[in-house]
Amino acid sequence: MERATLVDETCSVRSNEQVGPNLFLIEIEAPRIASVLLPGQFVHVKVPGMESHLLRRPFSVYRTDASSNVLSILYQVVGFGTDVLSHLLPATSLCASGPIGSHWELPDGSASPLLVGGGVGAAPLYLFAQELSNSGVGATVVIGAQTKEALVTLGAYEDLPGISVVAATDDGTFGYAGFCTEPARTFVEDGADFVACCGPEMLMRIVAEMAARAGVPCAVSMERRMACGVGACLSCVVDTADGKKRCCIDGPIFDAREVVWQ
Amino acid sequence: MSDVSMSVNLGGLSMKNPVTVASGTFAAGREYSDFFDVSLLGAVTTKGVSLKGWEGNDSPRIAETASGMLNSIGLQNPGVAALREKDLAWLARKDVPVIVNVSGHSIQEYVEVIEALEEDDRVNAYEVNISCPNVDEGGMTFGTHVPSVEAVVSSCRTATKRPLIVKLSPNVTDIAEIARAAESAGADAISLINTLLGMAIDARTRKPQLARVVGGLSGPAVKPVALRMVWQVHQAVSVPVLGMGGISTGIDAAEFMLAGATAVAVGTASFSNPRAAAEVVEGLRAYCKEQGVSDVNDLIGALQC
Repeated sequence: MERATLVDETCSVRSNEQVGPNLFLIEIEAPRIASVLLPGQFVHVKVPGMESHLLRRPFSVYRTDASSNVLSILYQVVGFGTDVLSHLLPATSLCASGPIGSHWELPDGSASPLLVGGGVGAAPLYLFAQELSNSGVGATVVIGAQTKEALVTLGAYEDLPGISVVAATDDGTFGYAGFCTEPARTFVEDGADFVACCGPEMLMRIVAEMAARAGVPCAVSMERRMACGVGACLSCVVDTADGKKRCCIDGPIFDAREVVWQ
Repeated sequence: MSDVSMSVNLGGLSMKNPVTVASGTFAAGREYSDFFDVSLLGAVTTKGVSLKGWEGNDSPRIAETASGMLNSIGLQNPGVAALREKDLAWLARKDVPVIVNVSGHSIQEYVEVIEALEEDDRVNAYEVNISCPNVDEGGMTFGTHVPSVEAVVSSCRTATKRPLIVKLSPNVTDIAEIARAAESAGADAISLINTLLGMAIDARTRKPQLARVVGGLSGPAVKPVALRMVWQVHQAVSVPVLGMGGISTGIDAAEFMLAGATAVAVGTASFSNPRAAAEVVEGLRAYCKEQGVSDVNDLIGALQC
C-alpha cells in the first residue's frame, strides 16, 4: 500500500490529564495526521519547553477521532521528556510529524485474531481492535498491567462490540493474577490464527515464541532510541533475519518471525 | 532592495545557494521530500558510501546530551552499487547538485568507490570522509595524522577530476596543519567539522549509553568549536571551506560564513525540524536583505576582529 505523505503539523493540546499511576492521556488537535493515521503508526513529537533536548519523542497513537480531528496518546512518565510533556497545559502548541511507519494489518483469511498488550503497550493496539470490531471479524484482547489502577484502557476495549477482553494484573488486584503471557498462552494454543503484540520487549519476545511454536503468525511493535524518525539517520535499527532494518519506517510493526531478539 | 545573489562556488562546484546537508543526517534526500523540495538546496550530500556496504554498529546507537547528541552509527550503508541504483536515480530527477560522501577501510577502498562513480554523470563532487569517529579502520584514523591525510587525499585526487572536498575531524591538536596537508595533496575544498568524540554514561546502571561506548557529538553544543576551527582553517588554506557543526538557523549559517566558510551544511537540526535545511536557506537570504548584503559571497571571511 502506498504510504500517506508525512506532514509536520503544528498542533494544539486539547487536554492532558493523569489517568493512572504515572500514566497520562494527552489529546492533541492534529487534523491532517488524525484523519489518515492507521492502527499502530506513531507520531514524532517536538515537546515544547525543553529546547536543550534536541530530539523529538516517538509516541504510538492510542485513539483517533476523525470527526473532531483529535488524536490521543497514552504515555508513561519515564524520563525528562515525558515529565515535561505531562505538564503541558491545554491550548499549548506543539509540532508533530506523522503518520509514521508500518501498521497492524490482519492477514488474509484470519478469523480469530488475538491482541496482547502489556502496560502502556495496550494503547497502540486499540485502533486495531476498533478496526476488527467495525469489520465484524472481532478479536480477543489480553491486556496486562501491574495493578488494577494501571489498567486504564480496559473500559475502552470493553465498549467495542465483538471484542472479548481478558485482563491480568501482576499484583492480582484485578482479573488474572500474574503476567498477561499466561492467559495469552491459552488463546494462542487454543485457536488464535494471528497474534498482534505490543509492550515491553521481553513480553513481545515471549508471545512471539509461543506464537511461533503454535505456527501462528505474529506481529510486534518495536521500540528503539530514535533521532530523525523518517528513515534517514539509521539510529533506530532493529536486527532482523534480513539485516538491520529501521524501526521508524520499516517498522515499528514487524513480523515477529524476522526479529532477532536482543 | 533587489534579490540577494545567493550562488557560490565551492572548489569548482557551483551551488545556487551556500546550503547543503551534513552527510549521514539526510540519507539521499528522499526521506525528507515530504517536507520540502530538496531542489531548494545548494547541494545534497549523501550518506557515506563504501565499496561493498557495511552493517554498522550495534544498538543503542544514539544518546541525547545537553544541546546535542552522540551517534555511533558506524557508517552503515548498502554499498556504492545500491547508491547508484536507488539514490542517484532518485536525485537525478531533482534540480540539485550531488556531493557523494566517500568512505573506506583502506586507501584502496576510497579509490575504488570513486572509480565506481567517476563515469556516473549524476555525481557532481566527492566529499572524502577521513573523519568518522565510529569505525575501527578508516574514518578518523586517516584524518588525524598528516602523512595518512596526504596519502588518502593524493590517491583520491589521482582518481578524479571532479571537485574533491576533504572532510576533517575536529579530534586533532592542530586543525590548520591537517587542512594544509589536505590542500597540498590536492583537495579543492575542506569541510569541517565532523563530530567530536564523546561519551555518555547511565549512572544508575553504570553502563555506557552507547553500545560502542564512545560516539560522535553533534548539535548546537559543538557550534563554538566548529566556528573556531572554520576560522582557523580559512586563515590556513586558500581553498574554500564548507562549514558545519550545530547550524540550525540562517543566522548560524551567516556566522560560519563570516568565520570563513564559502558554504555550510545543516546536520542534526534536521532531526528536530525536518524543514531545517530549507529554513536555513531562507533565513540566510533574510539575513542578507536585512544587512544590506547583495551578494552572499561578501560574507565569506568578513569577520571583523
